[in-house]
Formats: sequence, structure tokens, C-alpha cells
Amino acid sequence: MNHAEQIVLYAADQLDDAERLRFEKHIASCTECQADLKLWKMVAEEIVVSDSAETAPAQLAERALERTHRPAAPRLALQRVFQLLRSQAFLVQREMWPASAAVMALGVIVALISGHAEFIYFVAPLIAAASLSLLFGPEHDPAHELALSTPTSSWKLLLARLSIVSAYNLALTLAALAVLMLMFPPGLLGTLALGLLAPMAFLSALALLLSIWIGTSNAIAISYVLWLLQSIPYQALSTWIASPAWSAFLLAYRDFWHSPMLLLALSVPLLLLALWSADRPAFRLAL
Amino acid sequence: MSLQQAKGIGKMVSSAISKQIPHFQCGTQSVEHSMTAQEQDLDLIRRMASGDENAMRELYAAYGQRLFAYALRLTNDPATAEDVTQETLVIAWRTAGKFRGEGRLIAWLLGIVHHTAIKALRYAPASQPLEVLEETAGGGNPSPEDQAQAEEMKRWVRQGLQDLSTEHRAVLELVFYQGLTLYEVAEVCKCPIGTVKSRLSYARQHLRGVLSRSREVWR
Repeated sequence: MNHAEQIVLYAADQLDDAERLRFEKHIASCTECQADLKLWKMVAEEIVVSDSAETAPAQLAERALERTHRPAAPRLALQRVFQLLRSQAFLVQREMWPASAAVMALGVIVALISGHAEFIYFVAPLIAAASLSLLFGPEHDPAHELALSTPTSSWKLLLARLSIVSAYNLALTLAALAVLMLMFPPGLLGTLALGLLAPMAFLSALALLLSIWIGTSNAIAISYVLWLLQSIPYQALSTWIASPAWSAFLLAYRDFWHSPMLLLALSVPLLLLALWSADRPAFRLAL
Repeated sequence: MSLQQAKGIGKMVSSAISKQIPHFQCGTQSVEHSMTAQEQDLDLIRRMASGDENAMRELYAAYGQRLFAYALRLTNDPATAEDVTQETLVIAWRTAGKFRGEGRLIAWLLGIVHHTAIKALRYAPASQPLEVLEETAGGGNPSPEDQAQAEEMKRWVRQGLQDLSTEHRAVLELVFYQGLTLYEVAEVCKCPIGTVKSRLSYARQHLRGVLSRSREVWR
């Protein structure tokens, strides 16, 4: 420790006995240190006197305790999210809820009668795509104008609706699979459920993005065509156009819909793009 | 000023702090007593972590004045200092479980005050410097001749302290009023020990400059 530091600590009475004695010996013969010590003593006195004169406000501990009784930031954020979800659940087109349930019920009945559980695999993504296409835009939202004028951004509203409707679609699909368990072995249904989720997520994300860009009807039409195309038996399509390139394309196309990791990975950017587009009217094309 | 006089001021400073601050530990106090205070602090913070509201009141009774004084020096505004102190208590309450007792409780609390005050200053308009001293010493006018030279020097020191930036003033406050070691000051300010030393050195140069100007005025 050099003298400059020692003087400060000496003036602040922070040196131990040995250090203090050593320093006092030095300072007795050093005029520069004496001048510095005088300065630091004045500084110390001034600071102590002025700070000691300050009185801490009474009841501050009580006020702080009162604040600690309020919910913490994460809990507040959760409350806000819940409020947003609840408010948006009422703004989603009401017909969508029973319509989706009815189509799914129909799918279950057909699967039970025909003995083909795969029918649910075919129907569930279609329901998901249609319901998500109905989420955004003035024609589906009675409070669209009002929502645009509120501080909550469009993408947050869209995300809230997307979460609610996707959760509903998932619940419908799981309920349908539970009913089918009455007739089909659980192993088959498990495979079906796993195979279903990725195409459902991808088709939903695509339909949502297209509905923002080019409108609901176009979004439904395009996503349905894309989904139905992979469901048509490969041989039937090959006979229409006898070309090796066409056959290779059809094979690759079917493989694409049966690659869950790829579908899920593509769903994420599609979804992000949809949310990003929600706040940008310039991206909405009138077809 | 003789060495004896200087020692006298040192004793006065220590006794003033000890009277104001029940938990204040001077470097010359016994290790045994210091351990007891440290244990008391640990007990206090453990009780806070377990939700004992009385512990919070005790903490404020023990350290509130020091926390508020430091917040006030940093913000230069009583209302903001009050908010900062309150926020510090709330943070201390919520994070009491994280305090491991590796350092002194006061250093930990002052660290929270420092961080909260700097954050508050970032979003607040610049505060006005205190006006009284601007009038008496800022204009460079000599005080009335019958005033004691010592009093005049004190004024200049006060003025010199006010001219320092928040960071430099903070280091002086932490050393001289809060009784923190240079390492604790570095911890509170979240800066290297070298920065603390260079801030002290800058403060010394600045105050020496102010005092030498005051002597010229006095002549």
C-alpha cells in the first residue's frame, strides 16, 4: 500500500494499530503527506457531518413490506398473459369452436364405421388449418379496428389466439384418439398421434401465414390442396402423368409430409413470419 | 494542522459514525465484537429470507440511515433517494436467500443502493446542484473578512465535493461515511480496485486544486 492510499485509510480510521503507528512515524517528517492528510480529514469531516444530518424517512420499511406483498414480476406477467388469452378467446369466431368439434366427431364416426383409424390423421390437420385461417383479419374479428388502436400489438393478439385455438385443436385430436381407443389398439393410435402432430403444426403455421398474406379463403384452399395431394394414392397420380420426374417428385413430396422433424423445424419460421407480418399491412396482398 | 489535531478529527469522525450507526465497525475494533455483528447480520438476513417481517424493520432501523444517505448523495434528490432506498429494501427482501455472508451485509446493501440509484439516474433528468453553496462560494467572491479561515476552507471543500462526479463522490462516501475498505468499495461500485484508487487520486487532485484557489481568494 502506498502513502496516498494509507493517508485515505488513516483519515477514515481504517488502519490497524501497527499500520497506524508506522504511518504516523512517516508523516511526522513528510510535509506533502501532512498536507494531504489535512485535506482528507476535512473531506471526512464534511462528509460525515453532512451525511449524519440526513434522516431516513420513517415508515419506509413498512412501505417496502407492503410492496413485497404485491405479486412479483413473473406472477404479474402470468396474470397479464392469462387476461390476454381470456379476452382473445371471446374474440375468435364463435362458430369455429362447434364446427371444429363437429368435423372431428364426424371423422371419429367415419373411422369407427370404416375401421380405418388413419382417417383421423387425414382430418385433424384440415381442421387445424381451417381454424387458424380464421384467426386474423377484419372479416373474422368484430373488434379488429378497436384492437388495432390498443397498445397491445397485433402480433401479440395473434399469438394469443393462435395458442388458444391450437390448444383446442390438440385437445380435440386427443379426445378423438381417446374415443378411438375403444376399437383400435393403443399402439396404433400412439403412432398416429406422433405422426399427426408435425403435419398439423406445419399446415396450421402455413395456413395462418397465408391467411395474413392472401386472405382466409385462399389460405384454406392452398393448405387443403397441399395436404390432400399427399393423401391421394401415389399410384393413381402416377398413372395420370407417366413421367419419372413426376414420380420422383410425388415420392419426395410424401416423404416430406412424413418427416416430423423437418415439418416441425419449418413450422417455427413460418409461425414467426406470420407473427411478424401481423403488424405490417404492406404484406397483405389482395388476390 | 498538527498530527495531534488530525488524530482528534479522526476520533470525532469515528465517534460521530458510531453514534449514528449502531452496526458500524471501525478497523480498530476487536475481532470478537466484529464477529458478533457479522453473526447478527447473518441472523437478520436469514430471518428475512424465511419471511420474518420484523427482521426487515430491524434491518431498516440498523442501516436505513446509511442507505438513505448514500442514495441521497448519488441522486441528489430526496424523493428519488427515498424510492431508491425503498427499492433496495424490496430487493434485499426478495434476494435475502442469496446472501452468503462472504462479505459484510452493509457492503451488499450499499451495492444494491448503488445499482438501483445508477439505474434511476439513467432515466431521470439531471438534478440541479445544491444552490446554497453556489451563492456563497461558487461565484469566487471572498467571504466576509471576519469569518474564520477554517470555516471558509470547509465551504470550499463542500463546494469541491459537490463539483465531483457521482462516481468520484460515491467512492469518498463509501470510504469516509460508510467505513468500507477499498475492496468493498470496488465491490459496491462493480469496478476494479484500480479504478477505486484512481478515483480517489482524481478526487485528491481536484480538491487540492479547489483549496489552492481558495487560498488565493483568501489572500
